[in-house]
Amino acid sequence: MAHFHADFPWLLALCAFPLLGALACLALRRSDAACRVAGLVVSLVVLGVCGWLFVLLGGPRGTGWLLHEDLAWIPRLGARLTLGLDGLSLVLVLLTACLVVVGVLVSWRREKRAVPLFYALLLTLESGILGVFLSLDLLLFYLFWEIMLIPMFFLIGIWGHERRVYAAVKFFLFTLAGSLLMLLAILGVYLAHGHQTGEYTFALAALQNTILPAGWAPWLYAAFLLAFAVKVPLVPLHTWLPDAHTEAPTAGSVILAGLLLKTGVYGLIRFGFPLFPGPARDSLPWLAALGLAGLFWGAWVAFRQQDAKRLVAYSSVSHMGLVVLGLAVATPIACEGSFLQMLNHGLSTGALFALVGMIAERAGTRRLDELGGLWARAPVLAGFFLFFALAAMGLPGLNNFAGEFLVLVGAFRAEPWLGALGAAGMVFAAAYMLRLMQGVLWGPPRSAEPWRDLSLREGLVLAPLAVLVLWLGTHPATFQDPFRELARVLAASLGGAGGAP
Amino acid sequence: MANLLYLLLLLPLVGGLVNALVGMRLSRRLSGGLAVAAVGAAAALCLWLYWLADGQGTRVSLLAWLESADLRVGFGLLFDRLSAPMALMVTAVSTLIHLYALGYMRAEADHARFFALLNLFVFAMLCIVLADNLALLFLGWEGVGFCSYGLIGYWYREPKNADAGKKAFLVTRVGDVFLAVALLWLFASLGTLDIDALNARAGALAPAALTGISLLLLGGAVGKSAQLPLMTWLPDAMAGPTPVSALIHAATMVTAGVYLLCRLFPLVSLSAAGLQAIALVGALTAFYGATCALRQREIKRVLAYSTMSQVGFMFLAVGVGAASGAMFHLLTHAFFKALLFMAAGCVIALAGHENDITRMGGLRRKSPLVFWSFLAGALCLAGVPLTGGFFSKDAILLAAFSRGDAFHWSVYGLGALTALLTALYTFRLVYLVFAGEARGGEHPAGHAGHDQPLPRVMRWTLPPLAALGLAGGLLNLPAGWPMAGLLDGWLGPLGGAEVRASHALELTLMGVATALVLVGWLLARRWYARFRPPAQGGLDRFLLRGWMADRAYAWLWVKPYLAVGWLLHRGVDERLIDGGLDGAARGIGRGGRLVAAWATGRLSSYLTALALGLGAMLAYFLVRQWAGG
Repeated sequence: MAHFHADFPWLLALCAFPLLGALACLALRRSDAACRVAGLVVSLVVLGVCGWLFVLLGGPRGTGWLLHEDLAWIPRLGARLTLGLDGLSLVLVLLTACLVVVGVLVSWRREKRAVPLFYALLLTLESGILGVFLSLDLLLFYLFWEIMLIPMFFLIGIWGHERRVYAAVKFFLFTLAGSLLMLLAILGVYLAHGHQTGEYTFALAALQNTILPAGWAPWLYAAFLLAFAVKVPLVPLHTWLPDAHTEAPTAGSVILAGLLLKTGVYGLIRFGFPLFPGPARDSLPWLAALGLAGLFWGAWVAFRQQDAKRLVAYSSVSHMGLVVLGLAVATPIACEGSFLQMLNHGLSTGALFALVGMIAERAGTRRLDELGGLWARAPVLAGFFLFFALAAMGLPGLNNFAGEFLVLVGAFRAEPWLGALGAAGMVFAAAYMLRLMQGVLWGPPRSAEPWRDLSLREGLVLAPLAVLVLWLGTHPATFQDPFRELARVLAASLGGAGGAP
Repeated sequence: MANLLYLLLLLPLVGGLVNALVGMRLSRRLSGGLAVAAVGAAAALCLWLYWLADGQGTRVSLLAWLESADLRVGFGLLFDRLSAPMALMVTAVSTLIHLYALGYMRAEADHARFFALLNLFVFAMLCIVLADNLALLFLGWEGVGFCSYGLIGYWYREPKNADAGKKAFLVTRVGDVFLAVALLWLFASLGTLDIDALNARAGALAPAALTGISLLLLGGAVGKSAQLPLMTWLPDAMAGPTPVSALIHAATMVTAGVYLLCRLFPLVSLSAAGLQAIALVGALTAFYGATCALRQREIKRVLAYSTMSQVGFMFLAVGVGAASGAMFHLLTHAFFKALLFMAAGCVIALAGHENDITRMGGLRRKSPLVFWSFLAGALCLAGVPLTGGFFSKDAILLAAFSRGDAFHWSVYGLGALTALLTALYTFRLVYLVFAGEARGGEHPAGHAGHDQPLPRVMRWTLPPLAALGLAGGLLNLPAGWPMAGLLDGWLGPLGGAEVRASHALELTLMGVATALVLVGWLLARRWYARFRPPAQGGLDRFLLRGWMADRAYAWLWVKPYLAVGWLLHRGVDERLIDGGLDGAARGIGRGGRLVAAWATGRLSSYLTALALGLGAMLAYFLVRQWAGG
C-alpha cells in the first residue's frame, strides 16, 4: 500500500462524506429533485471509492490492516478516531455502498413526503453503517452504532407503512436496550483497563489485552452479546425484525436486512470475541443452538406469513441463523462460509425487498392471497423475482448456495449432527420460498388492467445485483480471497475443533 | 479436443439463456429452432467425441468454484465409460423430444419460457451425468428440480398446475437433503468430493459409515427417481405439457437417481445392507407402481405409474449388484418411455384433448402410425420377447434370482409378479385406447378446432424411437446370443459384479417371463378387449389414488408442519414474546432514563444530549401513537 497515500485519511473521509451529503440535502431542501440527485451522486461516489478500494486491496490478503488510521479526538477521555480496514470490512463496506445506491434508486419516485429529510437520513445512515464497519475505537464504534439507529428509527416512523409507529418504537426499544447494556460494558472494560494500567483508552487493540477482574468477563460479554444478538437477530430476540422490516419503506427494508443485521454479526467478530475470548468460547455451543433454532424458527414462521414482505423478513431470521451457526462451530471453512453468507444474504434479500416494493407499488397490496399472476402481467419483473427467490432458496450456481455449503461442510466437520440438521433447513427454505413464488408469480392475473413492466431505473437496480449473485454463485473466490486468512485465524482463536488437517 | 466436452454443457446452457433473455423477441420458429439446434448439436458432439470415453475416459476442468481450506471443488467433467453412453442417450432422446415439442407447442404464445426451461433441463441433467465431483453433480441435481418445477407448472394460470410443480420441487428436495448430507459426510471422512477418488478410497470408510452414506445416497436417489416413499410427486407431474413428461420420464430427472447409484456403485456396493435396502425399495416400488397403474384412468397417469415401476426395476438391479443391468434397462426404458409419452400426446390430440382412457377407444383407425408406434412402445414396456424391454428386464430378474438366497428369491418373486402386472396394465391401456369404437360421445361436438391434423414433426419423431426401443436389446444381449453383452463389456468393472448363471437357468427364467407376459396379455384381452365401464369398488379407488399416499402424507407431515408453524407464529412470537414485551418496554423505558442520568457525570456532554434526544424522540412517537397517529 505504499503507493496508496497513507497520509490521506481515506476511511474517515469515507465515513464523513455521506454526512456531508446529508447536510447538502438539507441545504437543498427547496428542491426535491436536487436532493434525489445529490443522494444518488453521493452514494455513487461512495460506491466508486469502495469499488476502487476493492479492486486495489482485494485479492488474497493476510490478517493485517489494509488501511489503518489513527487521529486524535477526545484526549480527555482517551478516545481516538481509530479506523481500520481489513478483508472482512472491505467486503462489507462494498456491500454497504452497493445497497445504499439501491436504496436511493428504489425510493426515487416512491417517497414523496419530506424528500430532503429522507435522503439526508439515508445518507446519515450510510455514514453510521460505514463507521460501524470501520471503527476500532469503542467509543467511536458506539457513536456510529447509535447514529445508525436514529435515522432508521425516523425512516420507519415517518415513511413507513400502516403500523409504522408501533414498528419504529419496537425497533427502537429492542436496539436501545441492547446498546445501552453494551455502553455499560464498554465503560466497564474501559475503567478496568484504566484502573490496571493507568492509561484510559477506548482503543480496541489496547482493551483486548485487559485482564478483567475475576467474574467480570462473562457479564460484560453477555452485555455485548445481547446488543449484537438483538441486531442479528438471534431467536428469541427477533420479534422486532418482522415489524420493522415490514413497516419500513422499501429503502429502509433493503438496508435493514442487507446491512443492519450484518452489523450484529460483525460486532461479535470484531469486538465481542476478541475482547472476551474465554466467555466467547464458552458461549459457542449456545450460539450454535440458537443459530440452528433461528434457522428453523424463521423458516417455519415465514411459511405462515400472508404478507410477502413479512415473509421475506422472517426468511432473514432463518438465513442469519445459519450465519451464526457457521461462526459458532468455528471451523475455518464454516467461518469463511459465514463471512461469505453475510454478503450473499445482503445482496439477495436486499434485492427481494426491492422487488416486493416494486410489486406492491403496482398491485397496491402485499398480501399473497391478493397477488398472483405476475408472470402474465410483467414478465421481466417476474423473471427477476424468480431469479432472486431461487438465489435465496440456495439453488447451486447462485450466491447463497456457496455460503451455505461452506457453512454446512464446516459444521458437519465439527459436529456432524449440526451439519446434517442445517442441511435439513433446505426443505424449510424451499417450503416458504415456493409459497412466496406461488403467491406472487403464478395463478391468474387478479385484474385486467395492464401493468408497467420493469422501468429502466428498476432494471438498473436489479441487473447489477443479478450479476453479482451469479458471480458469487459461480466464482465466489473473488470476494472470499480478502477474508480467507481472517476466517482461519478467527476459527483458530475460537479454538474450534477439526481445523484444516 | 477434450476441451470440446465443455460444449456438451454449454450448448444447451447458452440455448436456454438466449431463450430466457431475448426469447420473447424471437419468433416461435426461431426460438424453438434454437432450442432444437442446441440440443441436437450437443448430441452430435457427444457422438463425435465418444471415443474420448475409451480406456480410463477423459477429464477436463475449467474453473474453480467452491474453495475453502482443503475444500477444492471446480467445474470439472468426467467423460468415461459410464457417463458417455448416458450423455449420448440424454442428448439424443432430448433432441427428439425437442423436435416433437416444436409441433406440440405450435399454438403456444409463451414459447420462450418453455424452450428456455427445456434446454436448461437438459443442461442440468448433463451436469449430473458429466460432473467429476459431487458438488457439481448436486448443482445439476437441484437444477433439474427447478426446471421440472418450472415446466410442470408451465400452464401457471391454473393454480392446480403450479401446485403440481411446487409439489415436485418440494418432495424431491426432501430427497436432496439426504444427498447433501451424504456429500457432507463423504467430505468430512474422505476429504474430497471427486467421484473417482471417492470410489477409489471408499474402502477406507468404516462399515457403519459406508452403510449410512449408502442409505443417504439412496434417500437422495429415491426423491429424484420417484421411488417409495418419495414417489407422490410423479403422478401429479402430468400437469405439464406432454414433451415435459417425456423429458422427465425418459431422458432426465427420474433416471438421475439410478445414475447416481451407478456412478457411486463401487462405493455403494461395499455395503451389503445398503444394497439390500436399494433392492427392497426398488422391488416394492416396482410392485406399488404396477398396482396403481392397473386402475388409473388418465393415459399419462398410467404411464407415470409405469415409470415409477420400471425405475423400481433399475433400483432392484443396482441392489442385486448389477449396475450394468440397471444402465441397460435405463437406456431401453428411455427409448420406449419417451416413445409412449410422445405417442400419448398424439393420442390425446386425436381424441379431442381427452385424457380419460375410458372415454377413448377406436383410435387405431384414426392414425395407424400413432397406433403402431404406441404398440411398439407398449410391447417393450410389457416385456414381450425379443423387444428391448424384454431383454433388459430379464437381465435384472436373472441377476436377482442367481444370487441364490431367500432375500433375493423374494425380490425376484416380487419382480416377476410385477412383470405380470405390467403386461396386464399395458395391454389394458392399449385395448382401451385403440380397440373397439370411439366412446367420446359425451364430449360436446364443438371441438372442431382439435380435429386439425397432427403436425408432421410430432408423428415422425415416433418411428425412430420405436426402432430404438424394439431393437434396444442389441445393446446387451444375454450370454449365448450373437454379440452378447456389449454394454457389460463396455462398462467393464463399472458395471458391477458379473452375473453367474447357467445357460439353463437363463433360458428357464426367460420362459417364465414369457409365460407371465402371455398371462398378462390374455387377462387384459379377456377384461378389456370389449369395453365395460370401470368398477368403482373400494380397492379400485384405493389403487386409483395411489394407495392413499397423498392423504397419509397430509396427516403425517403437512398438518403437523402447519400446526407447529402456527404455534411458533401466533403462540410464541406474538403472544409470548411480543406480549411480554409490553411490560418489558415500560421497564426499559424507565431503565433508559436511569442510565442516562447516571451517564451524565461520566461522558462527554454530547452523549448525554444523544440520550436525551432519543428519549424525546421516543416520547414524541408515543404521544403520536396515543393521539391516534
